[in-house]
Amino acid sequence: MKKWISLAAIAGLVLAMAACSSSTGASGGSGGNGGSGGGGGGSGGDKQEKVTITYGLWDQNQVPAMQEIANKFQEANPSITVKIEVTPWDQYWTKLETAATGGTLPDVFWMNGVNIIKYASNKMLTPLSDKVKSGNISLDNYPKSLVDLYSYNGTLYGMPKDFDTVGLWYNKKMFDAAGLKYPDETWDWSKLRDAATKLTDPAKGVWGMASALAASEQTTYYNTIFQAGGYVISPDKKSSGYDKPEAIEGMKFWSDLIKDKLSPTVAQMTETAPRNLFESGKVAMLTDGSWAQIEFSKNEYTKDKVDVTVLPQGKKRATVIHGLGNVIAANSKHQKEAWEFVKFLGSKDAADIQAKTGTTIPAYNGTQDAWVKSNPNFHLQIFIDELQYSVPYPVSKDAPKWQEVEKSTFNKGLSGEIPMEEAAKQVAAKMNELLKQEK
Amino acid sequence: MNSTELDLPRQPVLDERKQAKKRRFNPRTRGDYFWGYLMIAPTVLGLLVFSIWPVFQTLYFSFTSWGSFGNYEWTGTDNYKAMFADPMFWMALRNTFIYTCVTIPCAIALSIVAAVLLNQKIRGVTLYRTLYFLPVVTMPSAVAMVWKWLYNADYGLINYLLGAIGIKGPSWLTDPDIALYSMVIVAVWAAIGNNMVIFLSGLQGIPVSYYEAAAIDGAGSFKNFIFITLPLLTPTIFFVTIISLIGAFQVFDLVFMMIGPNSIVIEQTQSVVFLFYKNAFMLNNKGYAAAIAMVLFVIILLVTIVQMKLQKKWVHYS
Amino acid sequence: MNAKTARSAQKLVVHAVLIIGAMFMVGPFIWMLLTSVKTFGESTLVPPVIFPAKFQWHNYKDVTAVLPFVHFYWNTVISSVAKTLGQLLLCSLAAYSFARIEFPGRNVIFIIVLSVLMVPSQIHILPQYMIMKSLGWLNSLQALIVPGLFSAFGTFLLRQFFMTLPKELEEAAKLDGCNHFQIYYRIMLPMVVPGLIALSIITMLWAWNDLLWPLVVNNSPEKMPLSVGLASLQGQNLTNYPVIMAGAVLAIWPMLLLFLLLQRYFVEGITLTGTKG
Repeated sequence: MKKWISLAAIAGLVLAMAACSSSTGASGGSGGNGGSGGGGGGSGGDKQEKVTITYGLWDQNQVPAMQEIANKFQEANPSITVKIEVTPWDQYWTKLETAATGGTLPDVFWMNGVNIIKYASNKMLTPLSDKVKSGNISLDNYPKSLVDLYSYNGTLYGMPKDFDTVGLWYNKKMFDAAGLKYPDETWDWSKLRDAATKLTDPAKGVWGMASALAASEQTTYYNTIFQAGGYVISPDKKSSGYDKPEAIEGMKFWSDLIKDKLSPTVAQMTETAPRNLFESGKVAMLTDGSWAQIEFSKNEYTKDKVDVTVLPQGKKRATVIHGLGNVIAANSKHQKEAWEFVKFLGSKDAADIQAKTGTTIPAYNGTQDAWVKSNPNFHLQIFIDELQYSVPYPVSKDAPKWQEVEKSTFNKGLSGEIPMEEAAKQVAAKMNELLKQEK
Repeated sequence: MNSTELDLPRQPVLDERKQAKKRRFNPRTRGDYFWGYLMIAPTVLGLLVFSIWPVFQTLYFSFTSWGSFGNYEWTGTDNYKAMFADPMFWMALRNTFIYTCVTIPCAIALSIVAAVLLNQKIRGVTLYRTLYFLPVVTMPSAVAMVWKWLYNADYGLINYLLGAIGIKGPSWLTDPDIALYSMVIVAVWAAIGNNMVIFLSGLQGIPVSYYEAAAIDGAGSFKNFIFITLPLLTPTIFFVTIISLIGAFQVFDLVFMMIGPNSIVIEQTQSVVFLFYKNAFMLNNKGYAAAIAMVLFVIILLVTIVQMKLQKKWVHYS
Repeated sequence: MNAKTARSAQKLVVHAVLIIGAMFMVGPFIWMLLTSVKTFGESTLVPPVIFPAKFQWHNYKDVTAVLPFVHFYWNTVISSVAKTLGQLLLCSLAAYSFARIEFPGRNVIFIIVLSVLMVPSQIHILPQYMIMKSLGWLNSLQALIVPGLFSAFGTFLLRQFFMTLPKELEEAAKLDGCNHFQIYYRIMLPMVVPGLIALSIITMLWAWNDLLWPLVVNNSPEKMPLSVGLASLQGQNLTNYPVIMAGAVLAIWPMLLLFLLLQRYFVEGITLTGTKG
């Protein structure tokens, strides 16, 4: 009898604990942000103290340049230390969301066009407009499209860091061996297919082209859809373009490469990433971004064997343009220091470092030329030339959600599980549904 | 880790009751109570906070829905309804069952063979035991990586070796019909050493007199194995089965590291725990994830109870 | 004569089976080592080369340049050791009390403790994560250590050891005026050393290799243990296997070495507990 009483008492205690904590949990989540934000203002006033701020990013290839920028910043601001934290692209957004939920975001971190609205609208980021104004920074120094990309409801949330376009990378050695002329600006889709056919040799395990959809939408189908005259999302952001014949054509370009065995299969590219296949001479052509140059210029194999040219044209010429921004976490305890650093990241000095190390095309107007000259082995100028027909990277408020749909469904279209046309229509239907829920 | 509760109910409880009754009449120092509570306090309070209360918390979460960045609201049984209607959930359940039901018998059979062979006086027996045990102390995430490389369809060692004897190896990790069984092979590989040492100690507990009696009857070693070794090993087999069951139902590392969330075969390979992780920490459906965790709890509980009941049918306690 | 050849033939078969088995068990380790010193090009050659033309030791340097392995080692060692020592202390205290002291509600509390063993750890993860978050412990060593300090399993295991000790021991000590803590510390603890060793080995092994919990709570590279570091390496280098294998070798050698040194205790620990984490 006694036993049962104490058991009941413990059960009651446990239940009480569960109940009371859940109610505080629900309200604590939103209250916590305000509290720590206020605390941040207080500690920001204390100037003399040594402060360490974290800088979150995903590209290992860019770390040396980012470190150089951080060092230069630390020289000018001896009381601030910058710690760089790299999270691989595969896990970056998952971890960022977990960190945002847990209140452990890095003080400053990289943001992309897909996620900016989600983070800005959930008040995860510090608005920068006022700081820009009081800091006498002219936003005219950056391309307007990038400033717009990182603004939400007329407020700027991210300082433009760089921009990128996409080119056709090719293996000169393999073209020479096949006796083919290198790709150039006269190429269109059919020329690429012809060359790919001649370069493919199943016996040796080499392919003409990598249909690398799973690696990145930005370097693959977002371009071909625009080249075919289609669009991903309508200009008013209310409907999907995937059920239009042009977009379907842009998608089929990639699935046909696999169907005709000119590219490794989806399974093969899951096991060995397309970029690795290209870097070991198993694939002759790969569409990849301007940011790939830093890796290819350092890789033992690719540094003197590959080059790059503009994307081949479909019905017309097009490449997606996108850029990254540096943002500040709203609950960072070091708002002042974080802003100093972001300001420096947006400066011409920082842009020059990004350019001369060949890391990425800086957003700061007038510094791009130094990037082009950073590596004479590759025709990097083509990435700048492509600007004239570049189209903005398609986004909407809940872009991460429909991008998830794109990823899983197009993989099926690519592996032949369902026809690509069917896949595109499925994506369109789901995407329209998601767009309807956006406010 | 949360496993070995097996030989618990045998002696202690009854003893204690008797003792308690006997002692009730003895004068009891307050010091005993004081020390008794003080010494259990850290562990009991810690378990209350980190293990017992969370069960109720998770139960509560399983009736909620989560928005972006940590806000949630009560949604009743929606998560459970959605879960039972979700083909992905049933698929994960199916994967976990197949994984469990293939891995455990294979691992147990192979480790019994290894234990029996290594329970003899032969040269190099210590070295063999050491080598067989190596996978047990190796980090599962590292194990997953090296096997992923061995399995690589184009450049992996396994398909090369198969090719050398004229077999065209499959796409081990990207063929939806095969990937799950590729995981099973790794799981068996990793479990053999662990089970083997338990069986070895089980074998050493079998009295030699049984074999001597059989030798008089002229029984061969195979007959010995079937009629003496195996029946007398059943308590150990039962023990290993229970431990392995609980472990196999919670498989996560292999799926996460060897297949990965972006793989084309993830639907055909993801386990219940992986689905839990994906929903809780990648898709931020924490309420739905809590519902998955509750179902996993119930399944493990049921399977353990069924095993406990069934043991009377096939386990010989001598 | 005949029987003798039959016996040696049988031995030969046994050895053949065992050697094939050993190759299956050890082969992956050897291939991991060999791959870790190849260039990426060499690793993708068909047919594969067994030894690289030149040993690429710089793969090891490369992988430590990509990821802060020094931090990984530090985090893993500190958290595993702290967890092990903490469990030894707390579990043995509780186990002693449950085994040797009479106090009201003892059996009920013990059964509640045991009930924890029936619950899969995934049930705890979400709430534990919320606790860590509200304490501001995400991305900290405490997050790796504290929730693992309290073990129902360890308490149960050690209790079994304490139960076997004869009653006369403590009665004599009581006559000498020892209190329970003194009896526990001076007399009983030294007698359950085998149990303590088994628990340490198991806890250590489990803490060293655990992936799910650290993956959830510590996402900053400075605070990751090796297991999570390996996971992030995979995303980092795409599929550059030589570098990945170098990372894997770096992650597993300490435990392998510890095992080779303390083999007997590992085997005893596993035999006693059955568990592999």
